[in-house]
Amino acid sequence: MNERIGILYLDDEEQNLLSFQALFRRDYDVHTATNAPDAVQILNSKNIQIIFSDQKMPDVSGVEFFEMILHDYPDAVRILITGYADIEAVIDAINKGQVYRYVTKPWDANDLKICVENALEKFRRDKELIEKNKQLGEANAELEKFVYSASHDLRAPVASIMGVVKVAKMEGTDEKSAAYFDMIEKSANRLNEFATNIIHYYQNNHSEELIEEVNFESLIDEVFDKYQHLAENVNITFRKDIAANSVYRSDTYRIRMILNNLVSNAIKFADNKKQPCFVDVSVVQNKEKAVVRVSDNGVGISPQILPTVFEMFFSNTDKNVGSGVGLYIARQAVKRLGGVISASSEQGKGSRFTLKYRIRHEPDQRQYHLSPRGRQ
Amino acid sequence: MSLINDNIIFHLVDDNDIDIAVNTKLLQLSGITPNIHAYNNATRFLQAINANQELYSTKTHVILLDIMMPGMNGFECLDELSKLPEKIKTKLKVFMLSSSIDRNDIRLAESYDLVQRVLEKPLDIYLLKKTLEGILE
Repeated sequence: MNERIGILYLDDEEQNLLSFQALFRRDYDVHTATNAPDAVQILNSKNIQIIFSDQKMPDVSGVEFFEMILHDYPDAVRILITGYADIEAVIDAINKGQVYRYVTKPWDANDLKICVENALEKFRRDKELIEKNKQLGEANAELEKFVYSASHDLRAPVASIMGVVKVAKMEGTDEKSAAYFDMIEKSANRLNEFATNIIHYYQNNHSEELIEEVNFESLIDEVFDKYQHLAENVNITFRKDIAANSVYRSDTYRIRMILNNLVSNAIKFADNKKQPCFVDVSVVQNKEKAVVRVSDNGVGISPQILPTVFEMFFSNTDKNVGSGVGLYIARQAVKRLGGVISASSEQGKGSRFTLKYRIRHEPDQRQYHLSPRGRQ
Repeated sequence: MSLINDNIIFHLVDDNDIDIAVNTKLLQLSGITPNIHAYNNATRFLQAINANQELYSTKTHVILLDIMMPGMNGFECLDELSKLPEKIKTKLKVFMLSSSIDRNDIRLAESYDLVQRVLEKPLDIYLLKKTLEGILE
């Protein structure tokens, strides 16, 4: 640090100010004042990092002076100079965080120097921390912006491809072309799923909770609607069974993310040989907890790999259709809900995923702030 | 009920020509409607409404509005639509279309009274039809 460190000392006894200056003026930029208004004047005009103040003064006490300036100069390190008689005031001030240290009068020159060095060290540490926090905040904001644009820029062309293929298939075409369109569609779907998963992964890790009333009836309908066209292709019946006896609030966005994952997974691993294929979603919810089950009669999961299905980049090699992140993200989202998720399966018969979480009853203080980004 | 009806007009507002072409085809091929107007920016769409307020206060207008557009984006367009006279607004059924699945965007879109539903791209005709049938019944 090339710039000299500024120290302010406020004391109504000029003799103290003189000996203080004699001690420090060589190494520091020392300013002194005999009353509070003068001291404030110095704070306004000079760059001060450390402030000393006597406690016992005729107009305001040292603690009162620190209280006065705390708001405008929060970064300066404050040190109280006091006689033994004022120890109560000092303890109070330290506990309230208004002063960093206190020095007793008459002071020992060496102690005082060490005190200044410590204060300086603290000032630099605090400053560094503030700087680091600021950088972290900026990095986070940039990352969020990046994910936002990636979520659009990555998905937009994929969505277009998926749309074109859909139209091409609807218009009918020769057998060879139809087969190629199927291939394009499959690849586009996989890319789309992976892009979606990346976005969900990020949003799950970084987004605030969004607490709203949970309506399982409409939530599950919404999920079924989303996959209806896929389910029709492979002849899957969706069924729901809801036993919910109380209204409650939770993070609907994450619950929806989990359900989407589980239902699309069940469709992917449907067993076409069985008729009918089904995906059942059942909910049992009371005032204490919610238990959500997603069951299917699909191909099932072998016992060897069942324990690893929630791991990142897990993929069922028998029927390699996923990116291997979906269930991992589902489990992360369940964690954020404060719940657990488990899987059970019998190969050839089907799988069942069970999600359990406690219902929180604390009044909801959180306010969700709409992001202005969409309006830029 | 059938949506093929001279009293229902569809408007596609999207800067992406491919998406306009695809969605037009999807609406036609799935038998939802032949009445489709397309605009590649939101300003032109607003001009069309203002130029023919009479039409917009008589027929039902289903609007598929893209969110991310250069110039005026989907939300800014919604802000403008919100300023229209009530007799027009009641005739507008807006669906926000987006390839972004950002939860903040979804939240923001749902906060507009005009918005019926937020749909992800590519357009899911089944979902659109189902929602429309619910609204127009």
